Amino acid sequence: MSTAPAAQKTLIQFDDEIVRKFMLASIIWGAVGMLVGVLVATQLAWFQLNFNLPYLTFGRLRPLHTNAVIFAFVGNMMFAGIYYSMQRLLKVRLASDLLSKIHFWGWQLIILGAAITLPLGLTRGKEYAELIWPLNIAVALIWVVFAINFFWTIAKRNEPTLYVAIWFYISTVITVAVLYIVNHLSVPTSLTHSYGLFGGVQDALVQWWYGHNAVAFFLTTPILGIMYYFLPKAADRPVYSYRLSIIHFWSLVFIYIWAGPHHLLHTSLPSWLQSLGMIFSLMLWAPSWGGMLNGLLTLRGAWHKLRTDPVLKFFAAGVTFYGMATFEGPLMSIKAVNALSHYSDWTIGHVHGGTLGWNGLMAAGMFYWLAPRLWKRPLHSVGLANMHFWLSLVGILLYVAAMWVSGITQGLMLSATKDHGSVLAYPNFIEAVTATLPLMHIRALGGGMYLVGWFMLMWNIGKTIVGAEKQDGTVEVFIEEKAPAKGGLAEGLISAPVIYTLLIIVFVLAWGALHGIWAGLAFVGVVASVLFGFLHQQDSKSGWGHWYETLLANSLPFTLLTTVAVLIGGIVQIIPTIVINKAASIEGTRQIPYTPLELAGRDIYVREGCYNCHSQQIRTLVGDVLRYGTYSRIGESIYDHPYQWGSKRTGPDLAREGTKYNNLWHYKHMRDPRELSPGSTMPNYPWLYTQRTDVASLESKLGVQRLLGVPMPPMDKEQIKLAVAKQSEEIAADLKTAGANAEPDREIIALISYLQKLGKSEPVGTGTKPAEAPKTAALP
Amino acid sequence: MFHRIFVEEWQRWLNAIGILLFLAVFIATVIRAMRMPRSQVRHLENLPLQDDSNEPPR
Repeated sequence: MSTAPAAQKTLIQFDDEIVRKFMLASIIWGAVGMLVGVLVATQLAWFQLNFNLPYLTFGRLRPLHTNAVIFAFVGNMMFAGIYYSMQRLLKVRLASDLLSKIHFWGWQLIILGAAITLPLGLTRGKEYAELIWPLNIAVALIWVVFAINFFWTIAKRNEPTLYVAIWFYISTVITVAVLYIVNHLSVPTSLTHSYGLFGGVQDALVQWWYGHNAVAFFLTTPILGIMYYFLPKAADRPVYSYRLSIIHFWSLVFIYIWAGPHHLLHTSLPSWLQSLGMIFSLMLWAPSWGGMLNGLLTLRGAWHKLRTDPVLKFFAAGVTFYGMATFEGPLMSIKAVNALSHYSDWTIGHVHGGTLGWNGLMAAGMFYWLAPRLWKRPLHSVGLANMHFWLSLVGILLYVAAMWVSGITQGLMLSATKDHGSVLAYPNFIEAVTATLPLMHIRALGGGMYLVGWFMLMWNIGKTIVGAEKQDGTVEVFIEEKAPAKGGLAEGLISAPVIYTLLIIVFVLAWGALHGIWAGLAFVGVVASVLFGFLHQQDSKSGWGHWYETLLANSLPFTLLTTVAVLIGGIVQIIPTIVINKAASIEGTRQIPYTPLELAGRDIYVREGCYNCHSQQIRTLVGDVLRYGTYSRIGESIYDHPYQWGSKRTGPDLAREGTKYNNLWHYKHMRDPRELSPGSTMPNYPWLYTQRTDVASLESKLGVQRLLGVPMPPMDKEQIKLAVAKQSEEIAADLKTAGANAEPDREIIALISYLQKLGKSEPVGTGTKPAEAPKTAALP
Repeated sequence: MFHRIFVEEWQRWLNAIGILLFLAVFIATVIRAMRMPRSQVRHLENLPLQDDSNEPPR
């Protein structure tokens, strides 16, 4: 005879103070990030708004904008949503108030650090991964604090099952940690500077494995979790199909991680990886649209509420934008479409459809829903919230439509040829810039409208909460004195379904990797595993189903399986590429390492954020080759830490820049681009003519480059000084001959030395016919 | 259009393996989701809708 465990009724008070803090932080940082966004958008229409000041140039402010909206705006919004919903779904208060506070204040300090360092030009030179190494460590530590608090709360829960929103949160916590750490592995050269561990094609692959999945696991999965909690709550009806949400989750987390290489189509990335990225991107259509439809259909029977309820308006439009963005992303990953869309404003339009539409509208809906509940007072003005919605919606549509038209115009003009494809139809890059200038105005207008809408939200929520009484939610739960065993790691992982699945995977891998008799044996192993697994399952019947039910109630094995699902894609992509890059020759062409002065110039190039507007990668496309020269080979950027392939061409590609112009051209162009390229929107860089090149740090920088495998000759401090002086004086003398007086120790000289090096490489034997090497030319 | 010829034979398998793995995960997920007991689905889908003490004043 067994007796039921005694249960005790307990009132649990949630920690909603931390939710309020993260929510207000998101609202404030959102305004900052969007304000900077509107400024950089207007800079693309009116270059004068760069103000000839280093701290306000596009190249430095654009990373501030992206980091602010991703990590500060969406990051804080995500933490608010996670902390609010998980306490209620798990019927437990957050595990540690102290950890919550460390998480909040630590995150805000990191954001403050980013807001100071990025305008100063302190950057790692990789998109969405610009923060310097001390801040990287701080991010990793604070994320660990968040993870401990998160999993500790799950462990203490009073609700045995895990709702699907918690699954999405788990995938975020795990995957972001892995992505962030791997992509930020660096060797410091000083307190504020480092070189990444990966270089060239490796760096490009790791960067977009990170970059794409930052979108996936920072901007998408947590917001999907928020959708699965807040949308049913606001509509007052359960999610349309819980079963579909399960399929949505597993398909999404498994597929997303493989799709990163679609950012590198037609580049030097090996072809198989490009195909992999494209195929998995196309596969993303299904789960993404499954999730979107699940969200929208949750509103079945409640559509009439949209007329009056601004929260539901924001949620419905946000989920629709999720559908639009996730339709457009795979479309742009088709190689033929990508040839047109990549490096153009179409990508910018796509990104903003996702961020302004999906993230921004979901955030606004959640904040309008939360404010009255967290401050115990009705929303100040429902009418103002409705006006915010319509203003935002029109703003997004203007922005996105302008970017589509601009992007397609750029793509068509820059790839157009005549005379049977032998000559460019628009040989001057500026033609595409001036043709799209009116669209930059519309973009700034659309972004400005969205920003005004956000100010309305600030006013509305500010009026709601000022002087209002804060309210923390409570829940009554029955806590059993002796809680039933939830099953452990062993039960979750050491079970027949997991073992058979692992066996099948191992045998399939062996079958692909081995040859001859061993491949045959591996194939037999696959068949045997499937057969025995099927027979075992038939024999045990309910046993296997029980394993899955156990998993739903066990966070630890569930988390481990999620980790495996997201790691497989990364491992399959990255490890073979690391193996390749160790080869002595890469496509018959190898980059010539930089001299100390050229390295100093490259660091200036990275500091000024030139990669935000200029690529260094000539794709295997006719338009690219006709415009810039023979397509880029893997070996040509093999020693670049960080790689600088870029993702957008507001200006032309620079991969072969070193063979095009003389020193005087660059000297004049950096001072006033319009003197040589009328119609250019590039900022002036007057400070490069007064600031001295940082030679003192080169010893440490060269040492780290050598440590990373770059074959630079060992040089001591004096040798570096002599080499820098010699090359600087040569360039200064050449400029003087041409009629320009420049001091050899100024930054412009170092930058010119770097620009003149771009495209210089040497042919190397491969055992097969060497690929055509790009032309090399001596310094003018 | 140019075609990059740099490829190693064994890497062709990685695409196929990736898709096979996904299909395995997808099929298993669909089967389990469809066979989930109705009572459990009802319990899970109603978790967000349970009483909330934070309801705002009207």
